[in-house]
Amino acid sequence: MSTIVYLPGIAGNAGLSPALQQLADEGARIVIPDIPGFNGASGFTPPADYLDWLAVFWDVIDASGVLADGSVALIGASVGGMIAAEIAALRPEIVSKLVLLAPFGIADASNPGFDLYAVRTPERMAHLFAKGVPEQIANRFAHYGPEEEPVAVYLADIAAASLLWPLGDRGLNKRLHRIGCPKLVLWGGQDELLPPSLIDAWGGGTVIDGAGHLLEWDTPDEVASAVRSFLA
Amino acid sequence: MKMMWFHFMPYPALPDDFNKKHRSVWVDIDPALFDRDILAESYDTYIDQLVYAEECGFDAICINEHHNNGYGMMPSPNLIAAVLANRTSKAAITVLGNSVALYNPPVRVAEEFAMIDLFSRGRLIAGFPVGTSMDTCYSYGVNPSQLRPKYYEGIDLIRKAWTSTEPFAYNGEFNKHRYVNPVPRPFQKPHPPIWIPGGGSIETWDFCAENDYVYGALTYYGHKFVRETVGGYWNRVEAHGKDYNPNRLAVTQFVGVADTDAEAYKLYKEPAEYFFNRSLHVYPGFTDPPGYVTEASVRARYKSAVRAAARAKQAAHDLTWDEMVENGYVVIGSPDTVREQLEAAAKDLNVGNLCAILHFGNMSNELVRYNTKLFGEKVAPDLKPMFGEWDHHWWPSGADTTSPEVSA
Repeated sequence: MSTIVYLPGIAGNAGLSPALQQLADEGARIVIPDIPGFNGASGFTPPADYLDWLAVFWDVIDASGVLADGSVALIGASVGGMIAAEIAALRPEIVSKLVLLAPFGIADASNPGFDLYAVRTPERMAHLFAKGVPEQIANRFAHYGPEEEPVAVYLADIAAASLLWPLGDRGLNKRLHRIGCPKLVLWGGQDELLPPSLIDAWGGGTVIDGAGHLLEWDTPDEVASAVRSFLA
Repeated sequence: MKMMWFHFMPYPALPDDFNKKHRSVWVDIDPALFDRDILAESYDTYIDQLVYAEECGFDAICINEHHNNGYGMMPSPNLIAAVLANRTSKAAITVLGNSVALYNPPVRVAEEFAMIDLFSRGRLIAGFPVGTSMDTCYSYGVNPSQLRPKYYEGIDLIRKAWTSTEPFAYNGEFNKHRYVNPVPRPFQKPHPPIWIPGGGSIETWDFCAENDYVYGALTYYGHKFVRETVGGYWNRVEAHGKDYNPNRLAVTQFVGVADTDAEAYKLYKEPAEYFFNRSLHVYPGFTDPPGYVTEASVRARYKSAVRAAARAKQAAHDLTWDEMVENGYVVIGSPDTVREQLEAAAKDLNVGNLCAILHFGNMSNELVRYNTKLFGEKVAPDLKPMFGEWDHHWWPSGADTTSPEVSA
């Protein structure tokens, strides 16, 4: 199995999701690039320009050394899925296989889904999951300490929101044809943010019942199974 | 001290059960609530009230910009300002202001403000608010993390557009122009005074102090609540080595004057309750878009118990009239009572520009005029001499209200 690069979703970098942890336990090498903002670190200012933002992801991935042995399998969730799709479309030579877990990037104005940014910060996480907020997510920035933890949460929210505001549409439908590598698209059947019907705009895929927007946390067995088969 | 008459232009006929049946007065308010005849008549009445304020001796009349809003019907304050420029002759026309990041390109603001300044022969105060999250991020879809950079760049572009003596190119992050050359330039030279309305962000305090702009502490909650904000601002003024000229600061305050304290308590209860418990019925989810405030401000936010308490109170919709009065949200009473309270507050805050809100909620036109006349005749004259020892470097050169002529 190729090295896997995982771009986490709208909650920021909470480490390996349970689904990916299963693959890691089986021996897969999974790298999570340390993307500014998504790690909650102080001093973050998002690039104003979308291309500049993409370049941040590219630069961090390049600098990580993960491409030393050639292309990688790229897994992106939510906002990370949007970026993963962009990378596969614009730098196809570095992506061997692409897994998209409920990616942003294409919106349906007639059914825009729940507006996560029209609730206050502490209430947001509950809307990402069908089975409750996992402890690992709730405590994802606890290592910053009690005073700085809420600031880290806010900064991670800024990072994601700066890429998604206001509809999460970056016109990816115009670049999808550039994705030449094998692609797996999975979607949570109870995704509040992005209606599962959007999966058709991505060329189809599998809707997993019982999962919310961050499906790799809600239904780890189903996601791990599908990804394992796809990457084998 | 400058006496300024501030109008929000609220829609005056939200139903009694508005709070129960609707989640927000702002952003996604039900358009079916608005009656076109009430809207049209309200504009006429409100403009007349602003004109009347000049007749009553107010130094300035003030308007602002809101979008998708049931308590502020001025998505384009410049349209109102154009009318006021034509119908008044002495008062400063204070537009607080144009939310620069919403205009593409901001050169449009330079052009329209220049026109208003010319219409009024140099009476414009040019306000540049960042804009509330409800107006900018939700109603106009501006990416919250880009709002402030766009705003700062927009002001920079506008200032250059106003003061350049020849066409120029501008290569900003958000604005790229080969030819900036607005016709007309403003009446006032080098440009109208710039005031920055704000809600308490640290970066706005620094921006004002660094650039010698007036800071407008726009609050709904009166002089007691705003002490923390004003204190923070003056600290930054001091840190930047600037003087304590009170004219660097403007503060909003709801005021209700009557012949007696008891009469004021009776007269202003309903319109105040309408405003605080209906017009401010804002869905909290529209107040916290990620990136709207900077890291420094969000860190400070968690330490501000005063603000947290006020927000909690507002969210609960349980403000009573006595609380509004006791906490200074509304200063009411006889002319003597109001004058004493405002004088003490002005000294406490060191504020040289009082933006008095004498129309609020669903107040009748008769009561607005009564309030305005009493204030103009029996409150303002004793307050105007305050801080007279300081020069006002931020007042429009064409404004003059030295000889009020009050009609009935």
